[in-house]
Amino acid sequence: MGVQDQLRIDVRHEADRVVLSLAGELDLATAELLEQAIDAAENGEQLVVLDLQALEFIDSTGLRGVLAALEGCRERGQEFAITPGSPQVQRLLSVTGVSGHLRTIASGDEVVA
Amino acid sequence: MSEQTLPQNDLAVELLVEAGAVLATSLDLATTMNQVAHLTVPRLADLCVIDLLAEDGSIREVAVASSDPELAPALEAMRREYPLDPHGEHPVARVIASGEPELLEEMTSMLLRSFAQGSEHARFMIEHRYRSAAVAPLRAHGRTLGALSLLRIGDGEPYTSGDLSLACELAGRAAMAIDNARLFSALRRVEQRLEAVLVNLAEAITLIDARGQTIFANQAAADLLGVSTPAELVSAGPGTIMSRFLVLDEHGRELDLESMPGRRLFAGEHPEPLLVRNIVRASGEERWLIVRSSPIIDPESAQILYVVNVFENITEVKRAQLAESFMAEASRVLASSMDYAETLQLLARLAVPQLADWCAVDVVDESGELERVAVHHSDPSRLELAEALDRGYRPALDEPLGVPEVIRSGKARIYTDIEPQALAEYARDDAHLALLSAIEATAVIIVPLAAPGGTIGAITLVSSESVRRLSPADLALAERLGRRAGTAVESARLYTERTKIARMLEAALLPESLPEIPGVEIAALYRAAGELNDVGGDFYDVLSYDGDSWLLAIGDVCGKGARAAGVTALARHTLRAAAMLGQTPAAMLGTLHAALRRQPSGSDLCTVCLVTLERLPANARLTVTLAGHPPPLLIDADGSQRLIGKPGTLLGVLDPIEISEVDLELREGQTLLLYTDGLPEADRAGGQLDEQTFVDPRRLALGSTLGELLTQIEQAALVRAEGRLRDDIALLALRLR
Repeated sequence: MGVQDQLRIDVRHEADRVVLSLAGELDLATAELLEQAIDAAENGEQLVVLDLQALEFIDSTGLRGVLAALEGCRERGQEFAITPGSPQVQRLLSVTGVSGHLRTIASGDEVVA
Repeated sequence: MSEQTLPQNDLAVELLVEAGAVLATSLDLATTMNQVAHLTVPRLADLCVIDLLAEDGSIREVAVASSDPELAPALEAMRREYPLDPHGEHPVARVIASGEPELLEEMTSMLLRSFAQGSEHARFMIEHRYRSAAVAPLRAHGRTLGALSLLRIGDGEPYTSGDLSLACELAGRAAMAIDNARLFSALRRVEQRLEAVLVNLAEAITLIDARGQTIFANQAAADLLGVSTPAELVSAGPGTIMSRFLVLDEHGRELDLESMPGRRLFAGEHPEPLLVRNIVRASGEERWLIVRSSPIIDPESAQILYVVNVFENITEVKRAQLAESFMAEASRVLASSMDYAETLQLLARLAVPQLADWCAVDVVDESGELERVAVHHSDPSRLELAEALDRGYRPALDEPLGVPEVIRSGKARIYTDIEPQALAEYARDDAHLALLSAIEATAVIIVPLAAPGGTIGAITLVSSESVRRLSPADLALAERLGRRAGTAVESARLYTERTKIARMLEAALLPESLPEIPGVEIAALYRAAGELNDVGGDFYDVLSYDGDSWLLAIGDVCGKGARAAGVTALARHTLRAAAMLGQTPAAMLGTLHAALRRQPSGSDLCTVCLVTLERLPANARLTVTLAGHPPPLLIDADGSQRLIGKPGTLLGVLDPIEISEVDLELREGQTLLLYTDGLPEADRAGGQLDEQTFVDPRRLALGSTLGELLTQIEQAALVRAEGRLRDDIALLALRLR
């Protein structure tokens, strides 16, 4: 199975934002794909959203990818938010204290936090 | 024309017998017709003319005979001057056109003028006193080929219908002879064309008769069957050609003459094309042939007269196919294990007898000496020879010939026609020569074990007792094998090396042994994930802290490999240094966070759980400090569990960090389990992440030692991970004793 099969990233451009929906697994093997996808998709939008609803698994390397995305947005002066995912994904975000640093946005909604 | 109408006299019989004799000789057409014409003169005619219808529709005389020696040349001259009009009234033209004979009993001057080709022709006939004529068509197989004209001149008897019948009979026989001659020459032309095709055909063709005798062969057949000319094949007796070869079927079984498709056709069977492997006994050369045979059947007797054998040489195609399947099998063998000595032995077994009678593999070992790692021969008693050679006469790497030379040059070598003299020069002493001679090598191929970094050894292939000999055609496959095996050996060595390094690094990152803490039982376990034993980022540590207290640390650095190992070392040693400086756990984590933030890459992150422990007479006082790490699990004596601590922020990325501390009193019978994320993440099912599923108290024998308990937790995780852990697992546990 190639890394493309393990992580699928769909990109959607909306008025003020770019939404990247992740499906599959975000880990050592696939974290780089996320970085490449954001670089390719981001077009100076006000907001970058990672939709994690279909993400089945994330590990610490994947988490580093999410944090790198956050860092990148800060550097570009963009806002960054996630749409929360599965219990496993949310647990890791919470255990590592990362969730407190991330804005969350429900699917299709305005920024809520 | 029936027998009854023939004149029943001696002349008729005599003529027909003589004509039969003339027509049976295979002289050319003009001569034969001339002889037929002359048979009739003077017994039956004063003048006889045979005319033939040419392909362009004109009528040409081919034979003239006359009793008057001057008449014939005069007539020929006249005919040249005044050719017969095929559509005219001349009796010859009429007979040829109608196919019916004509009897002109009395030819008056008026009649002669009526069909003459002009007045001069008329005058010629009148002056030569043409009197009576019988004109018979030359008919064969329903076609009129020409006409035979008999003439009487002057005062001779007029012809009768009996004479006409005899003329018809003669003409019929002549026509048959003409037709046969034409058919024969047409056939001869076809035959010549066919032979030209066969002779020049690239495919080898032989024609054999029922006795098995070759009666035709083309040059391609001569080349293929190892003789210089087709004539040699034709003169060789049945079976003598085949005896020059070892003829095997696809599976290596020997075939006899009777199983050849040609013989089977004569035996009344309908054989399929046969794939044979021919090995020239004299040279050991190997060829793969498809033999197709088809019968030539006599239409009258329905017997097989001859069999045409077509030999298609598919040696190159077959060799390529065998090479591919051999390489596929070799690759499978080489990939079967990371123990290269074992795989090379399997490889040697694979090469015998498919490629050679002997196969040996030598590699250069760590000390720079040649090491024989594999050798094979199908006969174990012969194998001792090779072993004796290797024991007593293993070549040094600087020797000028053989394996050392191939390893030095990296070039494959083939030795054919091995002369006793050459062996004697190569041998170090008589015993060596005796061993070398006993191998009975007919050809030797040595190819380098070529790895990406250079030549690391050599494969030696030897043909000896087999009829087939190694040839330059085997070199390419042997070289491929050498490259494939070289790469496999190199990666096996690298793997072993890497495993060794990974273990060393891991050992450097983890404490060699855990300190003894009075009144406390502690145990740790580290389980690496993945086959490659990549160094993981998990670490744990136990150290004395501030007099009577102890510090237990467990952490997880994001990533794997050398970089993660570096960050892990940094984390562990930063924590140790901070502990020695007497910092509080929260301050220690702050120090580590600052150290990680100073890392040039800027994205090294790490989660840590610190537990301080102070042993009191009845219990122990613990503080659990978390920085983004999963909270420890407290397991009671009855198996009930709860998580201790509040998650803080992971270190190295986010500012500001939030560190939480929770105090805990550890009582008799309680176990505190510290773990890294590899434990909850082991669950392949993913969904259920309640900590109680990753440490199932019903599966734990809480009465066993702490070390045993950790092993049980690890085994349960492996079961849930279906044998494939996503991440390393580090476990550190403590309880009172």
